[in-house]
Amino acid sequence: MSKHDAGRRKFLKGVGIAGAGAAITDHLWTEAEAKEQQAKPNGMSRGGKVVLNVNGEERTVEVEPRTTLLNAMRNHLDPAVTGPKLVCDMGTCGACTVLIDDKPVYSCLVLAVDAANKKITTAEGLGTPEKPNAVQAAFVEHDALMCGFCTPGFVTTISAYLKKNPNPSLAEVKEACKGNFCRCGTYPRVFEAALAAAKGSQA
Amino acid sequence: MPQQAQPSPSPKPKKKIRVPRVVNGVEQMVEIEVDEDSGPGWGPNDKHTLLNKRMTRVDGPLKAAGAARYTYDQRLPGMLYGRILRCPHAHARVTRVDSNAASAIPGVKAIIQAPLKELRYAGAAVAAVAATSPEIAEDALRALKVTYEVLPHVVHAPDAIKPGAPKVIEQENNLQQKAKNGDPQKAEAAFAGADEIVEAEYICARVHHACLETHGMVVDYRGGNEATIYASTQGTFTIPADAAKELGLPQSAVTASVEHMGGGFGSKFGIGIEGMLACRLSKQTKAPVKLMLTRYDEFVMAGNRSGAWQKLKAGVKKDGTIVAMQARQYRLGGIGQGSQAGQPYIYTMGEAYREIYALHTNEDSAIAMRAPGHPQASFAAESLVDELAYKIKMDPVAFRKKNLRDPVYHRQLDRAAQEIGWSRRNPVAGGNPGPLKRGLGCAVGIWGGAGNDQCKVDVTVSGDGAVLVAVGTQDLGTGTRTYMRAIVAEEFGLGVKDVQERIGNSKLGGANPSGGSTTSPSLAPSVKDAAIKTRLLLAQRVASLLGAAKPEEIVFADKKVSAGGRSVTWQEACASLPAAGITGHGVWRSDLSSRGVHGVCFAEVEVDVETGHVKPIKMVHIQDGGLPLNRLTFESQINGGMIQSLGQALWEGRVMDAQLGIQLNPGFGDYKLPGTLEMPEMVPIIDDDDKREAVIGIAEGCNIPSLGALANAVFNATGVRVRELPITPDKILMGLLSNGSLSRTQA
Repeated sequence: MSKHDAGRRKFLKGVGIAGAGAAITDHLWTEAEAKEQQAKPNGMSRGGKVVLNVNGEERTVEVEPRTTLLNAMRNHLDPAVTGPKLVCDMGTCGACTVLIDDKPVYSCLVLAVDAANKKITTAEGLGTPEKPNAVQAAFVEHDALMCGFCTPGFVTTISAYLKKNPNPSLAEVKEACKGNFCRCGTYPRVFEAALAAAKGSQA
Repeated sequence: MPQQAQPSPSPKPKKKIRVPRVVNGVEQMVEIEVDEDSGPGWGPNDKHTLLNKRMTRVDGPLKAAGAARYTYDQRLPGMLYGRILRCPHAHARVTRVDSNAASAIPGVKAIIQAPLKELRYAGAAVAAVAATSPEIAEDALRALKVTYEVLPHVVHAPDAIKPGAPKVIEQENNLQQKAKNGDPQKAEAAFAGADEIVEAEYICARVHHACLETHGMVVDYRGGNEATIYASTQGTFTIPADAAKELGLPQSAVTASVEHMGGGFGSKFGIGIEGMLACRLSKQTKAPVKLMLTRYDEFVMAGNRSGAWQKLKAGVKKDGTIVAMQARQYRLGGIGQGSQAGQPYIYTMGEAYREIYALHTNEDSAIAMRAPGHPQASFAAESLVDELAYKIKMDPVAFRKKNLRDPVYHRQLDRAAQEIGWSRRNPVAGGNPGPLKRGLGCAVGIWGGAGNDQCKVDVTVSGDGAVLVAVGTQDLGTGTRTYMRAIVAEEFGLGVKDVQERIGNSKLGGANPSGGSTTSPSLAPSVKDAAIKTRLLLAQRVASLLGAAKPEEIVFADKKVSAGGRSVTWQEACASLPAAGITGHGVWRSDLSSRGVHGVCFAEVEVDVETGHVKPIKMVHIQDGGLPLNRLTFESQINGGMIQSLGQALWEGRVMDAQLGIQLNPGFGDYKLPGTLEMPEMVPIIDDDDKREAVIGIAEGCNIPSLGALANAVFNATGVRVRELPITPDKILMGLLSNGSLSRTQA
């Protein structure tokens, strides 16, 4: 994702907050603006119903237009979907990666309203602790996780990539998950796991 | 009630030992009394059935499936979302907070002021709000109107010691001497015996822990008599007392819960300012409050690794003996004290004299970070040693051996040198042809890694054969859960899957906070002790079944319980137990852990001398640690240590604007973490020549020598000595320019 996307999202969030006149999130509200906002309880911040198809289940949620898909899943859907993690909230770390119509995206850069009626898959939808998919199983086998906070994002990114390229090189694996950060330092094992998962599903 | 382990009839002889206690991530040595009599040991490191093997993590499947629940994932009915308003000025006083507009926003439930009126860094907490959604909480922050009296500030260390510099803390000088060691006259005189002298300044930028799960907690308090705190913390037991004080409850009424936590690296002890504010918001609203820092908050107010500025001078004889050293060391801890190990670090340098100072700036306080104070000292010492070696044209490995007494380093240097292919190294720095120049470097590290007596572990065996090991400790991602199970399983001749664990709750047995590599050397012996005691209780029960004379003769192996040629299955043995089972209570045994780990790192880099870009090619780190509880996770720790050092060596650094006094890179877009594309080939080596049958912590040790190894490799590649971390391309190009290796027209 480029910086442009992050900026665009910030703009949209701002619009959601206070109308097009005050589009920058860092902008401090004036008292008049606050009163105006208060006077319009049915304005844009009231929100509306959105149908999200998450992990094969159609779920209706009421969100404001500015609410990101990540935020909708974690803080508005009930029960919550918490596999995707909120880490940077600006499209730099990949911990919130989900698949939308099988393509990996940062769910902190997608508005919930834009994800309506699309197929959303999170790490939970790829497999379960009891029935993991090949990538999840390889992550455990190769110790490709430590604190585990980045893990659902990596698993999701790599699962999608292996569908596109079932026989990747090490360099291709590194390239495929360059949008995901890990702080504990699991990268070498993540690469091993991805290559092993690819090999395993080819056998 | 489970049957209790009986205390031994006569008091055991005691001895006094010194052990580390971790307070806010930093070790403090205390004297305690322990039993002289030890009891059964671990046995030889190569004779284990589960330990010292490659065990996959028991919590791996949960984490890989996104099903592990972290503090950040908690969502409780009626929960409010907290946010903190931060000071935009590096030094200011709050004169007025107007919350009228903010409190008028529907969904805003509480607005409180942070306790400090004088704010000494940009990012300090000014106020906090609680609202029904995170979005509304942010609206409230934007609507808060704060009037500040802006005061003069200083954020660059060299400016802070200039005459007339603004005072960071009113009652204190910006510069404070903290320690001096050695004899300055003797050190000065000893330089006369040196053939060569190196004098240089080494600087480490402040770096961030950058835990992926930010600091924060969920305070589940609804105005009643008790509360539960879900905390992202390195210390379950560092939470209840302070939270209780904020909530006005007795400590026993507050439970801390830490199911999983997303990284700490030394930064997460106690409730912190964010926890204090969360408790106050919850107390005021009588509703659960979740307050997790934003990523921006995390950068500006959640601490960082102390910066370092070290002025060193050392003299060496032509035979490689270092005869004298002088050091003036500044700890750059912002408004805090900072940390830095004393020079000449682990080397013997003849007559050595050092002065250590804390130098304050208007920045968020430095706090403990993986091996507090050591990477900084190691980088400077290892750079200095390397400079001395080149000066007398001596091989840097041979030079280190000459000035290091501990034979463990000698063996580790040889082993790692072989792995990286040290013999390929061009001894002439920058001597390889072409614009892409490769180089090799090495460095050495040390850590304590001892345990203490804070863990109280229960192992319970039930009549149906179920085994549970329970203690309130926390698993930071180091694999605590897994080795707890394995220790118990091994004692009973079972598999890892036959044991369940319960951790991360302050209502369970006590445990030390995870800092300073003290967790496994404290916890593993306590688990072992509990397992041994429980095994004996069980043996007493089944002795008659097997016709054994003594419970000690009973063998537990391969899911069977046997003695004198007779054998029953584990299930049959347990069937004789009361329904509630039996429980053994384990405490720490000093003989099951030890102190002192050694690590050596070698690095190979490729530097593009036209762009200054450094590409790490290969890193090797060999680490000892007594008994490796789990080889798989031990290696992962080594990798993690190398990778975090790689970031600090080449890319990471907090950048401050001197005029505005603010951080310019408070996000992952501008603060460069190591990513997948930069990963070199990594070779973690467990030093199996360490035969100590004892558990020692290793997490810090693997995070120390890589800085020096990488910096020295860059020098070997280019002939440019970059003495300031991170080693960014501009510094290499400037070095090439001043070396004359690069002309101005080229640049």
